[in-house]
Amino acid sequence: MSNKKNLEVNVHHVTRVEGHGNIYVNVEDGIIERCEWNISEAPRFFEAMVVGRNWNELHHITSRICGICSIGHTLASLKATEAAMGITISDQDLKLRKLALHAENLQSHILHVGFLILPDLMDVGSVIPLASSNPDEVKTVLALHRMANDMSNLICGRTTHPQRLIPGGFSKIPSIKELQNLKDRLKSSVPELEAVANLLKTLAPKIPDFVRETEFIGLKNPNEYALYDGKIASTDTDSAPASEYLSYTNEYVVPQSTAKWAKHNRDSYMVGALARLNINYDKLSPLAKKISGLFGLKPVCHNPFMNSIAQLVEIVHSVEDSIKLINELESTGLEKQSDYNLPNLLVKSGQGVGAVEVPRGILFHDYTYNDEGVCTKANCIIPTNQNHGNIELDLKALLPQILNKSKKEIELNLEMLVRAYDPCISCSTHAVKIHFV
Amino acid sequence: MHTLSKEAFNEFVDNLIADNSLDVVGVKSKGEKFAFGPLESANQLRLDYDVTLLPPKKYFFPQRETLLTYDVASGFQAKDPKESKFKIIIGVHPYDIMALLHMDEIFRETKSDPYYLERRYASAIIGVNIENVSESCFASSMGCATIDYGYDLMLTDLGDKFAIDVGSHKGADLLNKYAKDVKKAFARDIQAVGKKKTEIINASKQKFNFSSELIPEMLGKFYDKDGFWENHSDQCLSCGSCVLVCPTCYCFDVTDNPELSLKKGERTRTWDGCLLEDFAKVASGENFRNTRAARYRHRYFKKGKYLFDRFGFVSCVGCGRCSSNCLPDIANPVNLFNDMYSLSLKAGFQIDSATIPDISIKTDSTIQFAPKMATIVKKVPMTSNETMFEIKLDDKTDLGHQPGQFVQVSVFGVGEAPFGVSSSPTNKGSFELCIRKLGNVTTKIHTLNEGDKIGIRGPFGKGFDSEFLKGKDLLFIAGGLGIVPLRSLLNYVLANRKDYGRVMLLYGCKEPRELLFGEEILSLGERDDIEFKATVDWCPEDEVWTSNIGVITTLIPQVDFDPQKTYAVVCGPPIMYKFVIRDLKSRNVPDDHIIVSLERRMKCGVGKCGHCQINQVYVCKDGPVFNYSDIKGVPEAL
Amino acid sequence: MKPKVAFFDFAGCEGDQLQIANLEEEILDLLGQVEVVSFREVMKEHSDNYDIAFVEGSCTRLQDEDRLKQIRKNASIVVAIGACATIGGINSLKNYQDTDVVKKIVYGENAHLFDTYLARPIDAVIPIDAYVHGCPITKDEFLHVVKSLLLGKKPEIPNYPVCVECKKNENVCAFEREEFCVGPVTRAGCNSCCVNEGTKCWGCRGLVDNPNENSQKEVLVEYGLSVDDAIDKFKLYFGWEKKK
Ligand SMILES: Cc1cc2nc3c(=O)[nH]c(=O)nc-3n(C[C@H](O)[C@H](O)[C@H](O)COP(=O)(O)OP(=O)(O)OC[C@H]3O[C@@H](n4cnc5c(N)ncnc54)[C@H](O)[C@@H]3O)c2cc1C
Ligand code: SF4
Ligand code: SF4
Ligand code: SF4
Ligand code: SF4
Ligand code: SF4
Ligand code: FES
Ligand SMILES: [Fe+2]
Ligand code: NI
Repeated sequence: MSNKKNLEVNVHHVTRVEGHGNIYVNVEDGIIERCEWNISEAPRFFEAMVVGRNWNELHHITSRICGICSIGHTLASLKATEAAMGITISDQDLKLRKLALHAENLQSHILHVGFLILPDLMDVGSVIPLASSNPDEVKTVLALHRMANDMSNLICGRTTHPQRLIPGGFSKIPSIKELQNLKDRLKSSVPELEAVANLLKTLAPKIPDFVRETEFIGLKNPNEYALYDGKIASTDTDSAPASEYLSYTNEYVVPQSTAKWAKHNRDSYMVGALARLNINYDKLSPLAKKISGLFGLKPVCHNPFMNSIAQLVEIVHSVEDSIKLINELESTGLEKQSDYNLPNLLVKSGQGVGAVEVPRGILFHDYTYNDEGVCTKANCIIPTNQNHGNIELDLKALLPQILNKSKKEIELNLEMLVRAYDPCISCSTHAVKIHFV
Repeated sequence: MHTLSKEAFNEFVDNLIADNSLDVVGVKSKGEKFAFGPLESANQLRLDYDVTLLPPKKYFFPQRETLLTYDVASGFQAKDPKESKFKIIIGVHPYDIMALLHMDEIFRETKSDPYYLERRYASAIIGVNIENVSESCFASSMGCATIDYGYDLMLTDLGDKFAIDVGSHKGADLLNKYAKDVKKAFARDIQAVGKKKTEIINASKQKFNFSSELIPEMLGKFYDKDGFWENHSDQCLSCGSCVLVCPTCYCFDVTDNPELSLKKGERTRTWDGCLLEDFAKVASGENFRNTRAARYRHRYFKKGKYLFDRFGFVSCVGCGRCSSNCLPDIANPVNLFNDMYSLSLKAGFQIDSATIPDISIKTDSTIQFAPKMATIVKKVPMTSNETMFEIKLDDKTDLGHQPGQFVQVSVFGVGEAPFGVSSSPTNKGSFELCIRKLGNVTTKIHTLNEGDKIGIRGPFGKGFDSEFLKGKDLLFIAGGLGIVPLRSLLNYVLANRKDYGRVMLLYGCKEPRELLFGEEILSLGERDDIEFKATVDWCPEDEVWTSNIGVITTLIPQVDFDPQKTYAVVCGPPIMYKFVIRDLKSRNVPDDHIIVSLERRMKCGVGKCGHCQINQVYVCKDGPVFNYSDIKGVPEAL
Repeated sequence: MKPKVAFFDFAGCEGDQLQIANLEEEILDLLGQVEVVSFREVMKEHSDNYDIAFVEGSCTRLQDEDRLKQIRKNASIVVAIGACATIGGINSLKNYQDTDVVKKIVYGENAHLFDTYLARPIDAVIPIDAYVHGCPITKDEFLHVVKSLLLGKKPEIPNYPVCVECKKNENVCAFEREEFCVGPVTRAGCNSCCVNEGTKCWGCRGLVDNPNENSQKEVLVEYGLSVDDAIDKFKLYFGWEKKK
């Protein structure tokens, strides 16, 4: 057996992920001494920064937790503020917010699958060499990504750190004509998406066949594939309203990380596209289900590498569901509002939780306000933080299975595993009950 | 006069919109306010508006427009001014019509602006009498609340119908072609319109306590009034809002925008404003209008005096936009002028209505925005920071300049900058520039080599009157880079030496290594037909200098000249002039015997962009060479 | 030879690097002009041999200073991208609170495990050659700066306030609709994008060189803010600049 080897793998700043994470592996005489997932991102202290700030600024500030998930953070933040003050939004605004979330899902997933995962499957270090070796594929991915960005611009007023999303609704909304143009583009992207799916299908054998049973947590909604709204659901346990998030997230601090980790029913759990698909599979749009079938992806799938395929499935779902939402808006027509809408809201004290499914999984913002609408306490639980524990346990489970490979391959496999989670380490922040391990 | 029922009017507008050869815009609501924008249907029109956010000026002089495109391989290509569609602008208030008439004069004067004028030709103005007078409007004080000309059609809302006054053939044609059921106005309609106009004039909430005809004279008395401008501008944010929303402001900036390939790009002009901090700042760091008060004052003077002296109108139409857009609320001309008037009364100033200058606006030529291609044929480093470039126009023509004139030099992708021509016009076939490395254009051009291409516009401005100077004694006084334009005249004089009297040259620079045209200049010392003295401010230990040490003025006592026969020609850094002129005057040199060449920030080079303005004077057009007697009363000049 | 460029990030949200990834098709044109040797967000390869370094994020820990100094040593041109890097950005909000309290709020009894100091822009640690302001940066300004550097010129960055662009875009001023805006003292260059989208300027591009802050504060108070709230508006992004 070639297993009795010494090995040290230190992947500093895993690339093609958002933020800084490191993998440390130390094997002595074939025995794994250390296998660690470590977050070195400089902490930014958002939960402290927002204390003392006004209710109508919180979404602007917490959007800056993460540029990649800024729409999701903005929406979770707005939902928390609105929940704290008992603010409701119109049905039209609800639909537009769902479109905003789809836009971000598309932006993020297309970037991840097209720019970050595809190079792994095609054995190159980045999308840059692909630009010359596979120009057509790259152009297709770029065009899809542009569509997603244009959609964000249209609905949110910016691709990153949205402006139009404000407490109580939207400062500005698109016209029906603009929505129709968007719909046409979404429709015409379907064949391109199918082409990308087929390309990935040919590369699918390269997806490692690795399974480790774990718990999946995500939002669930009886009416739809839950993204904007729902109860917290688990593949292990019962569901509960978002306000009870703390009993799911149980955060704790580990010494090797500036981010907090979380656990629920087991030692760790997973959130994200794969978790959502495992929980909401029935509610996928027809074509999304078909694509899922193409890869044999069905609930409950315990191969974390399949998260990327789940993202592909969600891309298709977001396109189809967006078309549906625009059709609905078209049929009712848009309620007119000022070009500089500022809803007249009653500011009051209270506490509220906003839970939203963002590209990387379930996200919670929890704010407490005083009578003047000044924030006195905040807590944000970010999907990637919830995944850290699961990532490390997966690394620990995967490593023995691949110990006989070359160091380079081991490194690549471990990195690919981390990348499959699409970790968004920039999001790291926060406070709560802390357990030491 | 005619009338159209409201339904027929809407049909008229919808017919216009339906014609694809037309681009129909009109007043629509925007938020709680109003703005001109493209019309999709007549129902969008809000002819009851009070004032639009921006004036319709934006359709003729847009916020941003391309002037030319360039290609490093083939040179500059001016944008074709032709408009693809004829524009109809519906709902212009009388004051905005008057503002367009002002702009027409400004863009027509001397060098006409092809883009502005073409857009004016390819458009029709459908005016409307004011239905709701805005809070800050004082158009009636400016005589612009109503207007009898300047439109193609003029509407007045008479309840169930519009009265329509046809102001031009264009307007008549539009009615003929697109409107149905046009009725002749009854006498009572005509009366109703007249009544309405009187009501509008009386409806202004903001009014001058005096006649607006006093403005130019009154301003003249307040230029230096103690603390007056400082007090009024203390809160100024330098935000430029007051000038950007003004229908008669027209300052602009010009910048190059390369494509990523860096091989191609375009040159665009964008709105600028004299209230902005860096408007008059130059590459050396000097800011010729350095204080909020100076910039604030300039706006009032430009509108109330400088343009009046040049065109015969006070260039404010009383729309009130400046005042409603100024957050600290200091830009309201009514407040300022009323304050000025009451102070005048207190001070017992005698203020008369200004006599309208007798002016007929002439156009010499059209502005050529696209430079000619030229080649650097020789590059001679002079100091560590200054280089002489010999340049040939690619079309093989002579530049044809007078000594003292300047050219605008374009470097692809970086932009344009003005430089005095330093060679004499007697040198045929090529010309020379001496350029100091300071900012972007000047640094980039230093990286170019013989054979490289640049663009040239010009020559521009007024140079030295070398004919007039014939037979006179000439005293050249040059500080630093000031030698550059003087060299052009000096060499011309030397080439025609017998036509001139004594020639004296006093030249100073900071230290020996900064001496320009070193050998050429120092060799002048050997000629006996020119008296030459040089000085340096100081000489570091590692350099050699045997002549005078001290600032340039220390040389003046060293030359003997007859002030009545001598003309002094002065050019140097901004601070030099005051001292040199003081010393010349103490030697009894008459004011009109002192000739200076001045430098200011420049963009257009043709008297439009406003950057080079010193009070009423444009350096690019009226200068850069000035007779001291003409500018000694121009406070910002020296 | 194409200049080699590298991207680095410190305490920030990576939104600015994302704007660069968002260049889409133009990225291919950009790759025609420069060679990207390090861009952790999208590529695995990395090299320390680069001419231009783009740095995102604030410096919030003593330990990050060494990395910055190394970058300064390696690169001939260092460009700060995004408000966090150019002015300290949203991160400097925490500077108003006691650092120990901040750590406690977020990490409780484990506060000692985390090391942080006043959030600061990159030029508080190393000299910077060019700035791409904004939170996030705009693609256009990023390209403008890149093109300027490639042409060998100093990128012109506006020194006038956001109001200039806002007027050109014909917006209804925030103050006319019961909103409060710091556009009159904030450096333009974003094409007043937030106001265009129906909100107001929050100040993300930092102060102009010579802001009339007193006047701006008076305007805020005149339009109904309390003096404290007016000062709060300045804290959102101007934290570090005001401390200087
Ligand atoms: C009539 C005239 C003659 C001149 N002759 C010479 C000369 O012979 N040799 C020489 O070295 N310099 C001369 N200058 C100064 C020269 O024009 C500036 O140094 C140059 O414009 C700086 O441009 P830049 O792009 O390098 O600087 P930046 O600071 O990058 O300036 C950007 C732009 O601002 C404008 N600008 C900045 N400074 C000036 C300025 N001082 N004058 C006018 N516009 C300015 C220009 O449009 C310039 O392109 C002259 C200026 C004038 C007005
Ligand atoms: S609008 Fe007011 S504050 Fe702004 S530049 Fe003009 S005078 Fe100054
Ligand atoms: S100065 Fe003011 S009132 Fe006069 S035209 Fe300009 S914006 Fe209107
Ligand atoms: S400046 Fe804004 S977009 Fe850039 S890193 Fe900081 S928070 Fe993110
Ligand atoms: S909205 Fe803000 S940026 Fe725009 S003009 Fe008003 S104060 Fe200036
Ligand atoms: S408008 Fe203000 S907050 Fe918005 S991008 Fe521009 S500078 Fe930043
Ligand atoms: S007016 Fe434009 S340079 Fe003189
Ligand atoms: Fe958290
Ligand atoms: Ni994130």
